[in-house]
Amino acid sequence: MHKNIESQLLKLIPPQSKVLDLGSGNGEFLEKLSKKNISCHGIEIDTKKIIISLAKGVSVTQKDIDKGLKEFCGLGFDFVVMANSIQCLRRPLEALNNIFEIANECAVTIPNFGYWKIRLKLLNGKMPVSSSLPAKWYETKNIHLCTIKDFEDLCADNNITIKKRVYLDADLNPLKSWFTLNSNFFASEAIYHLEKK
Amino acid sequence: MKIQQNSFEYKESFHLLNGGSIPGFELVYETYGELNPNKNNAVLVCHAFSGSHRAAGVDKETDKPGWWNEFIGPNKAIDTNKYFVVSPNNLGSCYGSTGPATLNPATKKPFGKDFPLLDVYDWVASQNLLRKSLDIQSWEMVLGGSLGGMQALEWSISFPENIKKAGIIAATSLISSQNIALNQVARDIIRKDINFEDGDYLIANKKPRDGLRVARMLGHITYLSESNFKNRFGRKLQDINNKIDSSINFEVENYLRYQGEKFSEYFDANSYILLTKIMDSFNPAGRYNDNLVDALRHCKAKLLILSFDDDWLFPTEYSKELHFAAIMAGINSSFIELSGNNGHDSFLYANEEYVSAISNFLNHA
Repeated sequence: MHKNIESQLLKLIPPQSKVLDLGSGNGEFLEKLSKKNISCHGIEIDTKKIIISLAKGVSVTQKDIDKGLKEFCGLGFDFVVMANSIQCLRRPLEALNNIFEIANECAVTIPNFGYWKIRLKLLNGKMPVSSSLPAKWYETKNIHLCTIKDFEDLCADNNITIKKRVYLDADLNPLKSWFTLNSNFFASEAIYHLEKK
Repeated sequence: MKIQQNSFEYKESFHLLNGGSIPGFELVYETYGELNPNKNNAVLVCHAFSGSHRAAGVDKETDKPGWWNEFIGPNKAIDTNKYFVVSPNNLGSCYGSTGPATLNPATKKPFGKDFPLLDVYDWVASQNLLRKSLDIQSWEMVLGGSLGGMQALEWSISFPENIKKAGIIAATSLISSQNIALNQVARDIIRKDINFEDGDYLIANKKPRDGLRVARMLGHITYLSESNFKNRFGRKLQDINNKIDSSINFEVENYLRYQGEKFSEYFDANSYILLTKIMDSFNPAGRYNDNLVDALRHCKAKLLILSFDDDWLFPTEYSKELHFAAIMAGINSSFIELSGNNGHDSFLYANEEYVSAISNFLNHA
């Protein structure tokens, strides 16, 4: 995970929370959280990545998020993080609903398919390949890409409150103010702090 | 690698969890590598049902490697250049530690069927006395597969101050009624052997080998998997020159018969019955109103829980149940289902992922 995204996420996590990291990868973010004495646990599907995580001393459950998360309900997690994973899921909305069964709050990051460089690639008639979307269309794990507008519509349609949003530019720094007028065009990624009441 | 064979003698009366006691005991154990001056590099390896203290190295006489030789040694998963590995033979077993075949000092006869029913807790308590005798404050890790994993779990609940990490592999916190049923059939097969003599076969100078052989054959089937049998034997016919007896047609029959035969030469029948009973009654939550989460609240160790996808004896669900109970209890617990090719016995065979899971977990600060 890019350090800018990490630091944005860390700002969203209330102190003393018990954090569940969905799609914890090599365990880098979990390690960051542990170093800040934040109690945390990861879920990852890839055995090799979990094994790398073990060397960092963090704890991870091997699990396919698409197969439900009900085992994690009632385990005392109060904040869920899902960074750069939602677009890989077969049932993203179901996953979001499952997250709110586990905790009241979560942070989700998405690559923005409405970003101007992506639109440009599509205008050229090709599926975009970029640093945030590095694989070719037939090899990509990203099967549910969306734009910022799409994602925010999904939240609105499902009574999910967006408590905070951070739009990031190509270097993953927050968008300068004048660009936020059309973040769906200028942001390459977005971070959301979500809540369901 | 420095290998030492040792024996630990406890001369006081040893009180058992289920009441009763034994008048002291002996634990034979092997160690691999060297204990560092700070005595903080010790790893306890616990053996499974029919395993022994011979976990690593290769026996010079028989050329047989230790049961976990693929994991313990220089630059292996448990690197003996760095760690001091202690591997005891459990009480009640038959490789030199006190068990049913040992002479009872009170009667001057073997304990036989009168050897008291132990609990996994008693094993761990005896290992804890061994730990003290070695002046080790805390194990860096306790680990094992199957019944060995159950000991690692028991350690983390019952002696939380003396264990930093636990590796619970192909194990469970509670075996199923199907497991108990299989064990019961094995026990009955042994008891029905004409030489069993109601458990007093040693006094009668007999050995219930047929019973042991068939019990082991049944056990062996449960330790492997359907696909393992298929890949290893398929429906291959046994070579006519290498048949154990003329009634055999298929390779798999010959294999099982051979395994059973070998086992019946060295294993003690009362130990077999006792060890399966210990396995059946294992329930670390029993002392906490059968609430595993409450039991695990005592644990301070980090847990690594591993299962194998083709293990049908202690399938993944058991490991997951334990793992989620641990998370609920607020413990750092990781769970991975590894791919295995040897059914339940997969825990005995090294592969890249399995080895690095253990070494990464063991080596992190």
